[in-house]
Amino acid sequence: MPSDMHCRSVVAIPAYNEAATIRAIVDRVRADLPDCDVLVVNDGSDDETAAVLVGSGAVVADHLCNLGYGRAIQTAVLYATRGGYDRLITLDADGQHDPAQVRPLLAEFDHGRWDILIGSRYVANQTYEAVPIGRRVGMQLFSALVQLTVGRRIYDTTSGLKIIGRQTFAPLTNWQFIDFHAEALVYLMRLGFRIGEYPITVATRSHGQSMYSALSHIKYPLKTMLMLVLGLVQANLTRKRAS
Amino acid sequence: MTIGGVILGVALGLVLLLWVVNLIRRDRLYVGYGVIFVLGTLATMTVLIVPPLLDAVTHASAALLPVPALSLVPLVIFTFLMVYVFAQISILSNRVMRLTQELAMRTARQDGEMKSPAAKQP
Repeated sequence: MPSDMHCRSVVAIPAYNEAATIRAIVDRVRADLPDCDVLVVNDGSDDETAAVLVGSGAVVADHLCNLGYGRAIQTAVLYATRGGYDRLITLDADGQHDPAQVRPLLAEFDHGRWDILIGSRYVANQTYEAVPIGRRVGMQLFSALVQLTVGRRIYDTTSGLKIIGRQTFAPLTNWQFIDFHAEALVYLMRLGFRIGEYPITVATRSHGQSMYSALSHIKYPLKTMLMLVLGLVQANLTRKRAS
Repeated sequence: MTIGGVILGVALGLVLLLWVVNLIRRDRLYVGYGVIFVLGTLATMTVLIVPPLLDAVTHASAALLPVPALSLVPLVIFTFLMVYVFAQISILSNRVMRLTQELAMRTARQDGEMKSPAAKQP
């Protein structure tokens, strides 16, 4: 598929055991965003994810084993960097994001001159209504921590729909992140990058299960909080070295 | 425990904390392991600093006699050794991940060049 040579974008979809939905997602992305290339990072799936992508028109980056969501996103960033792309658009493989919503997001990304623009489920109402209580506490905690550390509220720190500008590719591959969530946002904002939110709606997941297990509901906040603090330290060190 | 013992314990804990945090920051220790070491060290330091907690832990562990200070030395060495071993595992793990990513990139780039001949080369 020929790409727009003026501003090249690649849509990256990390997938782990998403055979039931991935083909339909790729087809919708290709129909709704014909000027974008499509990359699927198959993160060591055990099911037929790789098989259903044959002939889909998407480029497939096959991880030989499961590395996790954060590393899958990092692979996509590396691909975008080496491919000379200007923008990386990340989408979830479970069908919750409607590719048709990417177009207005792209317009806002260009108009607002954002470095990263997050498709946010909560910024429109600025509340976490209809979110399960455990998740709501986590969302509020990380949103508050981001505000506390960088002085700007981000309502949806865990959204999988993001537009990432080329200028942030290097810092995103130079340091490690867990899932490219609050810890990455704080690190980048501390480095001076502009991160914004744009309201989107998401569908209910119809296939598969969340990547967060019961145990990860304990591990994830602890790891993210530690990385958030270290991200601040690292960003400050980077700025000092640069100046 | 004597004041000197508490100070030594806290000092060792701080050294361990700084080492672990620096390893995580430099991507030499997986953050999942690091969290366990950080929480364990903080909990141990709290127990050392608050005497009633130390008494409670001693009572809960069913110890009949005070633990000789010398027996704590192997425990400290073992903890530092554990951090070192887990750091080595993390470094190896990072190399495997990097290799996996590079292999995926190589196939993806070839795939991409076939599908998008107009794509710019880096």
